[in-house]
Amino acid sequence: MSQNYRLQNIGLINRDKKISFKFNGKNYFGYEGDTLASALLANGVHLVGRSFKYHRPRGFFGAGVDEPYAVVQLYRNGETEPNIKATEQELFEGLEAKSVNCWPSVNFDVGAINNFLNIFLPAGFYYKTFMWPKSFWYKVYEPFIRKAAGLGVASTEHDKERYEHKYEYCDLLIAGSGPSGLASAYTAAKNGARVILAEEKPRFGGSLLTSDVNIGNQSGKDWAESIISELKEMPNVTIKNRSQIFGYYDHNMLVMSEKVSDHLPQTKKFHPNKRLWYIRAKEVLISSGSIERPIVFGNNDTPGVMLSSAAKEYLKVYGVLVGKNPLVFTNNDSGYETAIEFKKNGIDPIVLDSRKNPSGEIIDEAINLGIKIKFSYVVVAAQGYKKVKSADIAGISEDKKQLGKIENIKCDCICVSGFWTPTIHLASQSGNKTKFNEEIDAFVPGKSKQKETTLGAANGIFSLQNTLKTSFKAANEISKKITKKENEISIPNVVEKKSSKHDKFWCVPLPKGKNYKRFLDFQNDVAVTDIELALREGYRSIEHVKRYTTLGMATDQGKTSNLNGLQLVSEIENKVVPAVGHTTFRPPYSPVSIGAIVGREIGKHSKPTRKSPMHSWHEKNNAVFVDAGVWLRPRYYKIGNETLFEASKREAKNVRTNVGVCDVTTLGKIDIKGPDSAEFLNRIYTNAWLKLPIGKARYGVMLREDGIVMDDGTTTRISENHYHMTTTTAQAANVLSHLEYYLQLVWPELNVNVVSTTEQWAGAAIAGPKSRALLQKLFPKDNVSNENLPFMGYMEADLFGTEARIFRISFSGELAYEVNVKSDSGNYMWEKIIELGQEFKIQPYGTEALSTLRIEMGHVAGSELDGRTIPYDNALDGLISKKKDFIGKRSLQRAAFVAADRQRIVGVVPLDKKTTIPEGSHLVKDSNAPLPNPKLGYISASCWSVEHDNPFSLAILKDGKNMIGKKLFVMSPLKNKIIPVEIVSSHYVDPKGERVRS
Amino acid sequence: MLHIKCPHCGLRSQNEFSYGGDASVKRPELNQEISDKDWDNFVYNRKSLRGKHWELWQHLSGCRQWIKVERDTATHEIFNTLKADEEIS
Amino acid sequence: MQNYSIFSLIKNAFSNHENWDLAWKDPTPKNEYDVVIIGGGGHGLATAYYLAKEHNITNVAIIEKGWIGGGNVGRNTTIIRSNYMHDDNGLFSEFGMDLWRSMSQDLNYNVMFSPRGIINLAHSDAQMNVYARRGNSMRLNGIDAVLLNREQVKEIIPMADFSENVRFPIFGGLMQPSAGTARHDAVAWGYARQADSMGVDIIQNCEVIGFDVSAGKINGVRTSRGNIKAKKIGLCVAGSTNILAEKLNMTLPIETHLLQACVSEPVKPVLDKVVTFGAGHFYISQSDKGEMVMGGDLDGYNSYAQRGNLPTLQHVLTEGIAMMPFLSKLKMLRTWGGIMDMSMDGSPIIDKTHIEGLYLNCGWCYGGFKATPASGWTFAHTIAQDKVHELNSGYSLKRFNTGYLLDEKGLGTKTWIS
Repeated sequence: MSQNYRLQNIGLINRDKKISFKFNGKNYFGYEGDTLASALLANGVHLVGRSFKYHRPRGFFGAGVDEPYAVVQLYRNGETEPNIKATEQELFEGLEAKSVNCWPSVNFDVGAINNFLNIFLPAGFYYKTFMWPKSFWYKVYEPFIRKAAGLGVASTEHDKERYEHKYEYCDLLIAGSGPSGLASAYTAAKNGARVILAEEKPRFGGSLLTSDVNIGNQSGKDWAESIISELKEMPNVTIKNRSQIFGYYDHNMLVMSEKVSDHLPQTKKFHPNKRLWYIRAKEVLISSGSIERPIVFGNNDTPGVMLSSAAKEYLKVYGVLVGKNPLVFTNNDSGYETAIEFKKNGIDPIVLDSRKNPSGEIIDEAINLGIKIKFSYVVVAAQGYKKVKSADIAGISEDKKQLGKIENIKCDCICVSGFWTPTIHLASQSGNKTKFNEEIDAFVPGKSKQKETTLGAANGIFSLQNTLKTSFKAANEISKKITKKENEISIPNVVEKKSSKHDKFWCVPLPKGKNYKRFLDFQNDVAVTDIELALREGYRSIEHVKRYTTLGMATDQGKTSNLNGLQLVSEIENKVVPAVGHTTFRPPYSPVSIGAIVGREIGKHSKPTRKSPMHSWHEKNNAVFVDAGVWLRPRYYKIGNETLFEASKREAKNVRTNVGVCDVTTLGKIDIKGPDSAEFLNRIYTNAWLKLPIGKARYGVMLREDGIVMDDGTTTRISENHYHMTTTTAQAANVLSHLEYYLQLVWPELNVNVVSTTEQWAGAAIAGPKSRALLQKLFPKDNVSNENLPFMGYMEADLFGTEARIFRISFSGELAYEVNVKSDSGNYMWEKIIELGQEFKIQPYGTEALSTLRIEMGHVAGSELDGRTIPYDNALDGLISKKKDFIGKRSLQRAAFVAADRQRIVGVVPLDKKTTIPEGSHLVKDSNAPLPNPKLGYISASCWSVEHDNPFSLAILKDGKNMIGKKLFVMSPLKNKIIPVEIVSSHYVDPKGERVRS
Repeated sequence: MLHIKCPHCGLRSQNEFSYGGDASVKRPELNQEISDKDWDNFVYNRKSLRGKHWELWQHLSGCRQWIKVERDTATHEIFNTLKADEEIS
Repeated sequence: MQNYSIFSLIKNAFSNHENWDLAWKDPTPKNEYDVVIIGGGGHGLATAYYLAKEHNITNVAIIEKGWIGGGNVGRNTTIIRSNYMHDDNGLFSEFGMDLWRSMSQDLNYNVMFSPRGIINLAHSDAQMNVYARRGNSMRLNGIDAVLLNREQVKEIIPMADFSENVRFPIFGGLMQPSAGTARHDAVAWGYARQADSMGVDIIQNCEVIGFDVSAGKINGVRTSRGNIKAKKIGLCVAGSTNILAEKLNMTLPIETHLLQACVSEPVKPVLDKVVTFGAGHFYISQSDKGEMVMGGDLDGYNSYAQRGNLPTLQHVLTEGIAMMPFLSKLKMLRTWGGIMDMSMDGSPIIDKTHIEGLYLNCGWCYGGFKATPASGWTFAHTIAQDKVHELNSGYSLKRFNTGYLLDEKGLGTKTWIS
């Protein structure tokens, strides 16, 4: 297809490189340097989509980030991405895009029926209807509405692209590379400051690329190019195009999204798709420019109506005519710039200026060029459905209330300029309270809140001369304070046209008898009547208006609609604009890729994985792993086709009869040193610690200040002032912080130091009646007899030349030892244990068997210590010292904690001795009671008792102390189970604790 | 992201720290009689006002020291930081 | 009051919608009311509505510092559920579910209650057991709950990560089929419109400066729009609770924290359930507009800022992608923050206070929206009868002294850890 709208000798595109692409299944071509929007316009394609609510035809309105219309579904390298702004997407070979929100096609869209029904669908219509019959909302209406809404289609495939993060520091971060950005970057760089200059577009230069100005005897564009090439050479400067600073966060942290690969057919090897920069800047210069705002008139959403600055950009950057018979509708000088560019390129525009008789250099120039201008004239309505065909125009009275006779003139596009809105988003995000500037009818930043300075058009300065002057000055002042260096730079001479005052006019009145839709928000179909209705119904706060009408809540975030919406509210409410206020700007400035925000922490890397030094042995020996926090632990070691249940039973049984070994490396370990260690432990734990002899371990429970059990574990006195504490795997980090808190803040007088040694030690629990015999083999040089190493004893020993620590402690309830060696020797230790254990029929056991063993012994673990139980509940009240104070003791006096029927741990056995009891079931008195059925307690842990060969569970039961021997029901409605059970002691095996002492 | 000046290590990003709540809460002395009300005030009740707030942070991924930070809860501006043993004036 | 219906909509269309009434008036405050509700959020508006409807008390004013519905009722992720483990929370919320189910008709305002179901994903057998405990508790309380295995979850939400390349595989989940979402703004506006029509004064832009208390009894409130006398005053101010408590010389078991949420750009329907991640803290649903509505952890330090920082959102979205990798290709459109009144056990307070005539409704943490009707209903009862209803008897202030806590998560008093 030929490019009927492409000019030959203008634009910054590379005409040597043709690029072919597909839109809605049709082949087109464009050039390197095009955006999808410019390439489509070059091919005369104006219809790109349908609007959100009424499915009205949508074309291109802007040429960049402010685009409300041209949102497409993109296909790139076998993947698809929804909601891509065609005005931002650079063209690449093989690009494919489709229109969204239309069915079956953008040309014939069934949803457009909404447009004919639009009088029944005013703002908030859905709040007033779809209520009958009652169940129809969810079943009928809502699914219909859901299907109609939404823009593009999200692929449910995994994203193949990679995203990176980068952290950076700089002296000055400069957002935007227009005149103020370039001037300030140059000045600051010359002063030796570390500068980052970010430009969201592919090309640097901002407005200089399209405006007809001279700086230092060069065209604006050439001046920009020379500054950029100089900046590129400077080592203290980083300049980034395709990089948008989208968020200004606390303490001068800004975040930038760099599109590394979106402009390429596919991402290069080892390159990310996007890179997210966290930048901590000493100072921030906001030179983000301004966005042209529309004038509101009838059918102003028809394809072919667009911002005059966009039309100019398509012309000057891309060499594309947005029309051959253009109408320019303006209330200020900017429209003339566009008209003149048309004229220079052989196209005759008509200018409608709402002003009565403005005078200015540019108007004179236009007149001299022979451009047809109508003053005090406005566009009343665009005509044409899928494309502008003509315009109804009329003269307008000075008070802008009365329209003259309506004439219809032919045109194929309407370029509209309603003056400029400073892009204050970043300044506002920093916490800056913006203020309304009557001169320009827009908000500008107020007093700096963080270290930010707003320059140029973003600050409401629209003259190039002033922009450059203030930018050079500000950047010089700011940078020399940081670098203590100053390089004199002479401010270049500027030639620009003197501008005349804009007209405070933003909305064309409706002619009598006409009911044109006049849109404010183009994507969300919010029209003037919608705002009027909201106000009429009492939704008067601007936030109510916004929420009721959805004004400014589309993917363009109201960049072209917010201010006109405010103007309308202020007019109807008879308030000044600042009194109406405006919604606060929050990051992101424009929608930002979730993949980029997340970066590399995806898939297996979404959280760290911790492995013990013996992990590879477990892997080789068919361990099936379980996540314990971020640790991986063997759950069981599979032999043949064993199930979890079979394997864990085998492993547990072997511990009870022979000997087993379990990897306990993941337990938290904390070294405690210092002369006051015993006193410290005495305050931390509920039991007494002052008299623990050297070489002895003790079990302890620690509470939170609210009396709830925080953690349990053993602590061993290694030497006079040295203790070794163990914690549960889950609480290791919390316990360390807890100890540090009390040492540093509460009892700084205690001379104690704590440090985590979890990673330093590998641990193996050797448990079972034959464990001592095995231990003697492992430590032939040491005496590990019951006399020399009794229960809760500790010794240092020699594992064939490797230093080891032996703790005689037991979680399984069997005769057991825990051996620790330095992590590096963990695997050696483990293999030695397995090797020498063969004659004792040793088997490794995993967490599942460990659970079985501890459950039938009545030892508590995480499922009982669930952050809601006190020592009494866990039958640990014997460990509460009456003689001393400790953390959380005072809370144990609470009424609930001392209630006579306080919950307490019990054992539960099914009456039939066969039915396994699902964990998470509840205990009730009457399984047939009406709901809500009062619950007496819950099953915290279940196992198959290998000792008794029947199911056994632990439960936390109300009045558990007095319930032993009672018969209750276990209920698991989720699993449809009712099991009659008997309550027994939680110590189901070896209640006297003889084995551990044997 | 907050930028917190650790009195031991210097300015560091917030992600090196963990939060520890109101720094003005003083744990009652051990072994002392204390009323329910005073104990509840220690364990549960907080002023948590808008504006300047002395609070605890721990430089978890740094020196592991607990520090006191004076921060505005409305603007997040940080005015002052102290070591654990320095008194809030 | 005008009735809203398809017929009134059509009728008004022919007069260009120029004859719609005000949804609520904008009265100037009177000198005295029987009851003043402080806080024009969801709970305050609902309280006023039920005071009028259930207790025939209509000489009521709601005073609101800003604009009604501007706080958390307009800033939440719209999830409605009653999937609680503790009886007090479960029965209270399930009572609320009944009110939700008929709310659009009761209020003659379509709040778009959509019982699409919520799934809490589990990533280990241990977590499945924790959910079983919760689900069984729900079932025994008469609340619907289903325990799903991995295959069942996959059938319902195939876009979740069931691949090999996953850090915490999905083991299953707990589903409450009757849970869902509603249009948050509509809830506030619907209650406001009905309360207004029954004679309640909704007074916006009216900030509380102080209280008039004498001899242990409340007499009125001083506001930026003058002094207002009241026999009874109800406090329903969520994130401003600590500030008003200070004016009453009260300290409460509440801290004020910031919770952020975000939405993606709208896409065609892809997810029709509310889903929460089990290996972290992340929840997601898709709005009727097509936006993916997402939230997770608190920012983690006391805050009144209504503006958060990116690392928290990054963390939340990391869990989002871990759960549903397709989110990676979407774009984050809007972020915002809400100020949460985090209680020390994670459950709310609806109670009388030591000051006669002063009633307290706070501590909703990030669960306030779903509680709106039940909270309003029980608070209205508490105020009207000067005694707590059985439904909110567990939500007493004194539980922090007695130890009868309602800690669903077992995290204790570190309110900033979510």
